[in-house]
Amino acid sequence: MPIRVRLDRLLLDRRMSLTELADRVGVTIANLSILKTGKARAIRFSTLDALCRELDCQPGDLVGFEPGPPEDPGDDLEE
Amino acid sequence: MRALGPGSVSSFLKVILDVFYWVLWAAAVGLGIAALAVLLLSFKPDLLGHNINIDKIHISGPWLVPAAAATLAALAGYVGGAIVIVGRLRRIFRTLIIGDPFHPDNVRRLRVISLTLAILEIGRYAAAGVSKVVTGGQIPLGGGVNLTTWFAVLVILVLAEVFREGARLRREAELTI
Repeated sequence: MPIRVRLDRLLLDRRMSLTELADRVGVTIANLSILKTGKARAIRFSTLDALCRELDCQPGDLVGFEPGPPEDPGDDLEE
Repeated sequence: MRALGPGSVSSFLKVILDVFYWVLWAAAVGLGIAALAVLLLSFKPDLLGHNINIDKIHISGPWLVPAAAATLAALAGYVGGAIVIVGRLRRIFRTLIIGDPFHPDNVRRLRVISLTLAILEIGRYAAAGVSKVVTGGQIPLGGGVNLTTWFAVLVILVLAEVFREGARLRREAELTI
């Protein structure tokens, strides 16, 4: 997907662990891990708000666009 | 009354399907034994009798052993198809009981059910055609087009697509953080 999540870099810059961030924003580690690895399909404004608040950043610092082929929305289903 | 989850209509239907599934397996085993018996008796046809009367069908003479064998084979195929259909339905209902109707595997299961129904229907035409050609109409089998079956095949295919869309939406929801 051309949208890249830069959560790992932000965590590194702020010397914060994924577990700590999960506790602070009220999102499970599993879900944050999905976000961090770029497997997420969408992010709620409420989650983005909580992440930006805790990481003290702008949404643009968290996600960025890198040109590439668009992803088929059904490609991770069966078959 | 709830449609999904434990103690629901789905759960009740699953029990019926379970019973039906094992009855079909018993029938398949019975047919296997009968087929074996016919094969063994074909070496000594006198023991098989001289004619078979089933409803309006009267089989006698040289067609006796081949007709019995072919009938058993056709029935075995039909029961096999029914086992496939009921087996897939059981698995679909299992997902309904655990409250997960849009499990991605249900799409494939519905397609298999639809395909099996179509194969059974085509097999019925083939059996009727072969019987007419080989025995000259001596063994009349209904080979008419059953529109209800074809309607069911198409409806199940459409349902499979509906479930595919449901599975996609479920996946989207799971991956929305």
